[in-house]
Amino acid sequence: MRKPLKQARALVAASAAGALVLTAAACGDSGESDADITWWHIQNQDPLMATWQEFADDFAEANDVTFDVQPIENEAFKSRMGTAAQSGDVPTIFHTWGGGVLSEQVDAGLVRDISDLDCLDQIDPIALAPYTIDDKLYGMPFDTGVVGFWYNIDLFADAGIDAPPETWDEFLTDIQALKDAGIAPIALAGADQWPGHYYWTYLVMRIVGLEGLEAAAEAGDFSGEGFVQAGELLADLAALEPFQPGFESAGYGEADGQAANMGEGVTAMELMGQWAPQVQRDASGTDGPENLGFFPFPAVEGGAGLGTEWLGGGNGYAVSADAPDEALDFLCYIMEPDNYARAIVDGNFTPVAADVAAVAPDLGPDTQTVIDALATATGTQLYLDQAYPPAIGGVINEATEGLILGQITAEDFVARVNDAWAAEA
Amino acid sequence: MGGRGVTLKASPPASPAVGRPDADAGMRPRRRPGRPGAGTLATFIVPGLVLFLLFVLLPVLFAGYVAFFRWNGLGGVPTDFIGFDNFRTLIGDEVFLGDLWRIGIIVVLSIVVQLPIAFGLAMLLHQRFPGRTAFRLLFFMPYILTEAVTAVLFGLIFSPRRGFADSLLAGLGIDAQIGWLSDRSIVLFVVFGILTWKFFGFHMVLFLAGRQNIPDELYEAAAIDGATGAQAFRRITLPLMGPTVRIIVFLSVIGTVQLFDLVYVLTGGGPFHASETLAITMFEQGFQRNQIGYASALSIAMFIVSLVFALIYQRYVLSRDLQGSITTAGGVR
Repeated sequence: MRKPLKQARALVAASAAGALVLTAAACGDSGESDADITWWHIQNQDPLMATWQEFADDFAEANDVTFDVQPIENEAFKSRMGTAAQSGDVPTIFHTWGGGVLSEQVDAGLVRDISDLDCLDQIDPIALAPYTIDDKLYGMPFDTGVVGFWYNIDLFADAGIDAPPETWDEFLTDIQALKDAGIAPIALAGADQWPGHYYWTYLVMRIVGLEGLEAAAEAGDFSGEGFVQAGELLADLAALEPFQPGFESAGYGEADGQAANMGEGVTAMELMGQWAPQVQRDASGTDGPENLGFFPFPAVEGGAGLGTEWLGGGNGYAVSADAPDEALDFLCYIMEPDNYARAIVDGNFTPVAADVAAVAPDLGPDTQTVIDALATATGTQLYLDQAYPPAIGGVINEATEGLILGQITAEDFVARVNDAWAAEA
Repeated sequence: MGGRGVTLKASPPASPAVGRPDADAGMRPRRRPGRPGAGTLATFIVPGLVLFLLFVLLPVLFAGYVAFFRWNGLGGVPTDFIGFDNFRTLIGDEVFLGDLWRIGIIVVLSIVVQLPIAFGLAMLLHQRFPGRTAFRLLFFMPYILTEAVTAVLFGLIFSPRRGFADSLLAGLGIDAQIGWLSDRSIVLFVVFGILTWKFFGFHMVLFLAGRQNIPDELYEAAAIDGATGAQAFRRITLPLMGPTVRIIVFLSVIGTVQLFDLVYVLTGGGPFHASETLAITMFEQGFQRNQIGYASALSIAMFIVSLVFALIYQRYVLSRDLQGSITTAGGVR
């Protein structure tokens, strides 16, 4: 009698083990939590990180829901979000820049249409554009702004430059002047690639104009002469060796990276978005340069683009397709005037409120600079690596790195991007 | 021990590979020895088998399927069948070919630089001298660090402005400003240096184990026959260390083909692919550019590279070492 019993027990054990395995496989959940609302954000620096957590805690208590808040570093977030999207299981609330990446997620049915968000009337309609796909809204912006040169006024003065450059030639002259004064002119995070792609994009925008760029993207064809010329001008700039030593392996927000170089006042300028002053302080552990100025990307002689056309974008939140209504309520909770006013200060955001004065009566000078730039904007282009599908944005980023390092030519650049468009079609 | 004395995998010819938990246990025999019951077999095999099918075989087969599609990985299953296009692109992909080239360089460097260092240290640490254990421990320690931590550590050491490496050189009066991680022509060698730092201790321990398996009687006999130390090393140590050397080379190559964490955290494969590996290319294509089809094709290529190497190596190099084990790869009867 012993043996059959043993066999039976063994079979039970085996099938139990098998069942366990199957169950474990079946309930893989993106947030590894059973909270009602999982929230992935990239504000992983205090004070805003703590503020977001506090908002979540307060909302959770008032509305009887549970939160799992996960602050994730920018680059790590992009990787993690990519895998989550492919597993078909995205967090309830997640950071988004809108554009082509969001569009792919929408096509895959992962994102909830939030066109009927209660607090929509509090938000400036212009800021909604990157998150609007086929006339439906899929993300709520909480920050917006433009990319431009943030420069250390004192270092410029040391090199004998008293006004920021307005044309590309002046810009190159100033680069040489800074070099002659023994100052590294530009901080660049070569390893991260995306900060470099701002240069190429802006050159294209200045040469063929915003309309020209939009038309080329529509056609999926970057063959025009202006696109090659943009690459050549960028190669010219790189040939001057304007970047800080070791930029090839530098990251944006890490120690000794692009922002830290600016924060410590060892490089004269960086081409970066509205968050730059904040990250300069965070990454360097200093108060940043004493005199920080801002100037738009210089004009290219004979180019069709206008100085009032900006590369830019903002930060927003999207919610998963199966998100409970509470998630939408929480987004509006963030936008409640008192809360949003606090977030603007803690996160150094450029407000997206329809009535900025109501939520942010006295903004810092840096934020005010960005708001002024936005106020005069005649057109904006979302960062290409977010505006286009990831396959194309990735190629543009990679090709920019190759161009700056002298590994590929301006013609190669255009050919690579065209190939990527062709494959995507 | 089959007459050859030293094999890394101690596998006496009579020992079966699977499930005989109580056969030769040396305890009082409660059941008749022989085939274990079906229930016992199932208990031990099924959980592992289910896990293997679910998390190894199924994904591998799925990757093989997806490699024939153009697919961004989002939503449902792939539909855009493109035949062998992904593989055609792969053959012309400079990054992929560059990955193979870089792997080749690292493998060659490992064999001619890293393994001899580990071998030499093992011979040294086999001698008796005070503090021997401390040295063994010290040399093994880098291996204990996770690869990501190692990468962060060396990222700080080779940081361009305040890095320890440059400071050290400056302290020695050398104002070199070497672009350790930023100079495309040297970054791969810096990566190799870090790999050596991390793995030489592991290989050293394997060599040490191999050396300790050589019976002292052989050396005594050689000494009686009048052999010099050098002769004993050449005629006894080297040949009997053969199996250990061969298995370490094998591990080293397979490890290099799969290299990811350390390099990804350290350089991300840059600048402009100068330190990129197959796994990094696969990761970037798959998870950053959402080219899951192409990344799958790459993973299949990676699998084939490993498999072909493993089969050839087992057939021609490891064949004698594998005598008696179940995976002889057709090498011996």
